[in-house]
Order: sequence, then structure tokens, then C-alpha cells
Amino acid sequence: MPRSLALHLEHVSVRYGPTLAVDDLSVEVRRGEIVGLLGPNGSGKSTSLAVAAGVLEPFAGTATACGIRRADDPTAYAMHIGLVPQEPALYDELTAEANLTYFGRLYGLSGYDLRCRVGTVLERVRMDDRADQRVGTLSGGLKQRLNLACALLHDPPLLLLDEPTAALDPASRDALFADLHRLRDAGHAVLLTTHHLDEAETGCDRIVVLDRGRVIASGKPSDLVRTSPTGRAVLYGQLRERLPLFFTRGLRKRLGPDVEVEVTGRRLRLAADTQEELGRALALVLSDGIALDSYRTPPGRLETLLRHPAAVEPRREPCDAS
Amino acid sequence: MRRQLNAILAIAGKDWQLFFADKRAALLCFAVPIVLASAFGLIFARPTDKAAVVKLPLLVVLEDDGPFTRAVAEDLVNGARVDAEIVTAEEAARRVADRRPGIAVVFPAGFEKLADWKPGAAADKPTVRVLFNPLCTGESQWAEGVVSETVMRRLAKAQFGPLFGDSGLTLPFAVASVEAVDGHHGFNAYTHSFSGMTLQYLLFWGMESGLLLLRDRQRSLWLRTRAAPVSLSSILLGKALTTAAVAFLQVLVTFAFGYVAFGVKVCGSMAGFLLLAVSVSALAAATGLLVAAIGGTESRARSVSILLILGVSMLGGLWLPSFVLPGWARDVALSLPTTWAMRGFDGVTWQGGSLWDSLTSTAAVVGFAALFLAVAVARLITSEARRRRGLA
Repeated sequence: MPRSLALHLEHVSVRYGPTLAVDDLSVEVRRGEIVGLLGPNGSGKSTSLAVAAGVLEPFAGTATACGIRRADDPTAYAMHIGLVPQEPALYDELTAEANLTYFGRLYGLSGYDLRCRVGTVLERVRMDDRADQRVGTLSGGLKQRLNLACALLHDPPLLLLDEPTAALDPASRDALFADLHRLRDAGHAVLLTTHHLDEAETGCDRIVVLDRGRVIASGKPSDLVRTSPTGRAVLYGQLRERLPLFFTRGLRKRLGPDVEVEVTGRRLRLAADTQEELGRALALVLSDGIALDSYRTPPGRLETLLRHPAAVEPRREPCDAS
Repeated sequence: MRRQLNAILAIAGKDWQLFFADKRAALLCFAVPIVLASAFGLIFARPTDKAAVVKLPLLVVLEDDGPFTRAVAEDLVNGARVDAEIVTAEEAARRVADRRPGIAVVFPAGFEKLADWKPGAAADKPTVRVLFNPLCTGESQWAEGVVSETVMRRLAKAQFGPLFGDSGLTLPFAVASVEAVDGHHGFNAYTHSFSGMTLQYLLFWGMESGLLLLRDRQRSLWLRTRAAPVSLSSILLGKALTTAAVAFLQVLVTFAFGYVAFGVKVCGSMAGFLLLAVSVSALAAATGLLVAAIGGTESRARSVSILLILGVSMLGGLWLPSFVLPGWARDVALSLPTTWAMRGFDGVTWQGGSLWDSLTSTAAVVGFAALFLAVAVARLITSEARRRRGLA
């Protein structure tokens, strides 16, 4: 039995002045699934999410949440959506409970009902022991969980998350995805944006790849990451600690021009033409004393899509999982 | 409707909590107008009893050494109107240039021949020179008057003293200074400074809340708020409500301190005072929204707002009574809300005005607040609509 449709973006186009940020985008998200909007910076992920959240109006196309078009009834539309902005949208000066109470009241909650909902969401994100703590004193991970809790207060069927793991360490990121998987299992629909392949692959049920505002691919991660004969061998590693800049430069020099090295915070990406070259590069990294907490090698179409989108024909049909 | 009302109260309550979350900042917000008003009052307060009338500091230069000239100089030194000191011409020139004090009167050589002057005589008139620092033009006229009176008294004594004796040469009339207000009231310099500084600080508080709104609009918090089922008008109203409530509290706290410490009293209608306090609080809130609406960037808004607030404070008579301003400035000031607010406060405090008397000023302030609010809301709605369409 097909799950009900939580979000439907139909032929959405958005302009920022003369720049076409989103071009004829169509995406569907159903209840009980996590869909990742994947793409490099400037590909239109956050803009698409803003349209879905109702804070940005497309010049063409429509946004529908649970059968309600935003243009027809903005209030009812907003009640079906929980937005989690990239930076925690919280008041540092207030306690966790005061923040939740405030945002709950914006959604029409009050009295006993509001108190119950605040308690429930704090429990849901495992922060019930932090209710009276000022937000400014919470860690980045806890803030992000509270950020999520604020979006859950009115129990919306659809959650929209803009790069939710951008400022999180691996443990907090895993905890957040665990929360999202629980919410999905409880019947929520989740649409999130990310530019991390590994996150999209392991955290999402379906991926929509964007480039310059257009959908260039969509499908299940397993379909998109299957080995491609033309793909490069890639390794994603989690560094035990951050590398100094001079160390990264030295490593790049030692590995030579045939191996791509990218270090973002504690994330490491190595790419080479063949598995053998990649193996040699990894050996050199480890022999340099660089400790990795974990690593994965997901070569395939997804990597190609994200790194070399021009080689892929954009798809025009709605990106439906069913 | 009920949902929007709930949202307005939620936003206002949250802003109220945020204001008091930083207790030191909140305390300073109340302390600053009190300190400013007290300082201004201290500087401009003048004792009103006759015994303590301020004397004009004055230097006297004698280029003529005759007895009549010396007698005039002694009259000045011993007189009740000026605080005179006899010095040389060089010292007078140097000290006047340094404004220590800013006025000197020079009795020229040949002044002595006035002693032989007879009514109707057409002899050469000696010229008494009044040297003055360019910053002391008012005092120079004061000095001119006092010197003329002293010379004429001495002259009359020389001419008619033998006939009538000293007692017959006093002024045949008395001069009494009477405050040109209706009835007895409690004016002191602190009343003016507490009204003026409170008003000025309210405008600054409005500006701060406007800048906070500008800052909020750049944060993810704004995104979350705009995604909620709350209209922009409700958000703005909620914010304005808190700004006005804090402003009202500031008026009450500042005037309460003024009453306890300096005897600042509401001699007129208390209801009129409270109505005026509510209207200036609304003006502060509307000013804040206007800053957010037309300020552009935060730093630009801050610079322009400070300039405007200081300008309207000065012209509106918030620093010094408006009668010290030139006529054209007083005419221009009628188009400013601060002028009307200040008139209102003067009316209900030391002038003892009734509720009815204060209504004109209150209505003018409310009118300005409504105008500012309308412009601000219209502008913010337009800019949000543009932003929503990706045009800004």
C-alpha cells in the first residue's frame, strides 16, 4: 500500500534577481521516508527547502504539503511542516524549556497541552534532563537536537532539515540520524539537504541529486552508488583529530597529482583513478601517523554525479520513490 | 484571530524575557537616563532665592585715574549685580580671550570729565568699551546695562546729591520678577532634565529594539518564525508591544527616582501624565520599527538614527529649553514629535496643566507614533514580500 504523500514540489522555479536558483524542480516526499537533497554549494538545495518550508515563493510551480497548497491556505500549510534551519534557531539567553514554550505558542499551543508537548519532545530528543538549562551553555550537538525538538512541537507530518549535521562531530551526527530514523519509523516524512555523500548514502532512504538548480538524478542510495566502470576509486575517512594546514599541504605533495586529497574539519576524502592507487595513498596516509577512526570506499555513480555533474543528463520527471 | 493574538502575546512575552535575561544590561537601561537627567539637572539648576542671585563676572580697566571714574569702578566692585575686579588693560585682554571671565569694561582716558557734565550739555562723549569673548555676546549686553546704570547713578549722585542727599536718589519704583505661568508650581531644573533625558533615552531604546529586529532578520530564528503560522503584522506588533512596555517602565522608574531624589513632581493631572507616558512609549516602539524598516544595514541604521535622535532631541528642547533656540529653529521644531512630547511633560509637571491641557500634546505624539507605525509596517511588509519572492 503506497504511503501518503507529505510533500509535493511541482515544477518549482526560483529566481534571485537574474539568477535562476531552482529550475523546474519536482520532488515528492512520502510519510515514513527520509529523502536527501544532495548537491554541491549553490546547487539549489537550501532554496528548494525554503520553498518547501513556505518562506520562499517560487515564480513558477507549486508546493503542496499533505494535500494543502501553500498558496491556498498558508496557515494550514505551515501547521504541517516543521523546519529545522541549518544554524540552531534558538534564543541562547533562554532555557531549553522557554524556547520550546515560545515556539509552541507560535503554533497555537497553550496551557496543559503545550506543557505536555514540551515534555514529550524533550524526551524524544533525550534532553528531558536539560529543560532548565540555558541554551547558550549547551554543546553544539545538544543545540541541534533542541533545534529539531522545536520543529516537532506541533507534531508535523513533514520535517525539513537544512544541512543538519554541518557543525556536528561524528557522535552527534550519528545521534541526530538515529533521531531522524526513529521519526521516520513513527511515520514522519523527512526532507534534508546535505553535501556529504556518505551521509546521504547511509542516512537517507532516497537521494535527489541537484546541480545548478536542476535534478540530475534520484533514486535509492544503493542504486546510485553501484560501481560504475567510469567512476574513480574514492575513500571517505573520519580523522581522529584535525590536521594542521601545513600537514595537509605536505600530504598532498607526497601523494602526487594523481590523488585528490580533501580535508574538511575531520573529514578526509581521497580519490584516485584505480583501487590500487587509492590503496597506496591510504597506506601512505597511515604511515604518516594520521589516525583514522573509520573509513569507507563507496566508488560509483553518486561520486561521479556530485563531482562531475556535467557528464550526466538532467532528469525531468518527478522524483518519486514509489 | 485567536491564534494571532496568542502569537502576539508569545512574541511580546519572549522579548520581555530576553530583555530581563541580561539583568545588568536591563539595570543599565534604567540607570542611564537617570544618570543623564541628574547630570543635566545638576549643571543647569539655579537657586531661585534672591540672596543667591548669580553675579556677572566682569573685569574693569581704568585708563582714567580721576576720582569720579574710581568711584564708578568701586560701585561696580561693591555692587550686587556684578562680580567685578579691577585689572590692567593687558591682563583684561588676555583673560577675556581665555574667557576668564569673558567680559571686560574699559573706562577710557577723559572719562573723568563726565563729573562736570550738565543736563543738556553737548560736549564730546567719552566711549566706554566693552571687550567680550565671542562666546559671551549675551553677557556683554548684560554688562552694558549694568555699567550704564552704575554710571548714571554715580552721575546723578554727583549732580543732585547736594540737593537731595543719598536717600533721595534711590529708584522711585520697584522691579519684581514673576514667573509667567498660571498659579504656583514646582519647577526646578531637574524637572526639565528628567523629562528631556527620559524622552531622549526612549528614542534610543526604540532605536536599539529596531536594530535588534534588523539583526533578527539576518538570523535563522527569523526563518523559523516566518515558517510558523504567524503573520508579519503579528510579529511586528508583538515586538512593538514589548518595546513600548519597557519604555513605559522606564518613564515610571526615571520619574520616580526624580521625585525621590530631586523633588521632580507631577503638579498637574496624573492621568494626563500617564496618558502622555503611554503615548511616548508608543512613539519609542514606532521609532524602533521605523529604524528596522528604513535603516538598511545595521551599522547604517545605527549611524543615521543616532544623528536623527540627537537632532530631534536638541531641536525639541530635550537638552535645553527651546526658547534658547533661534526663531526659525523653534518653528521647525513644531514638526517634531519631541517638541510636543516635551510641551506635554512641561505641562503636566511644573506647569500644573490639567488632563484637558495635556490632550493636545498627547494627541500630537500619538499622531506621530501612528504615522511612524504605518510607514514602518507598510515598508516591512513590502520588503518581506520582495524577500519571499527572491527579489531582495
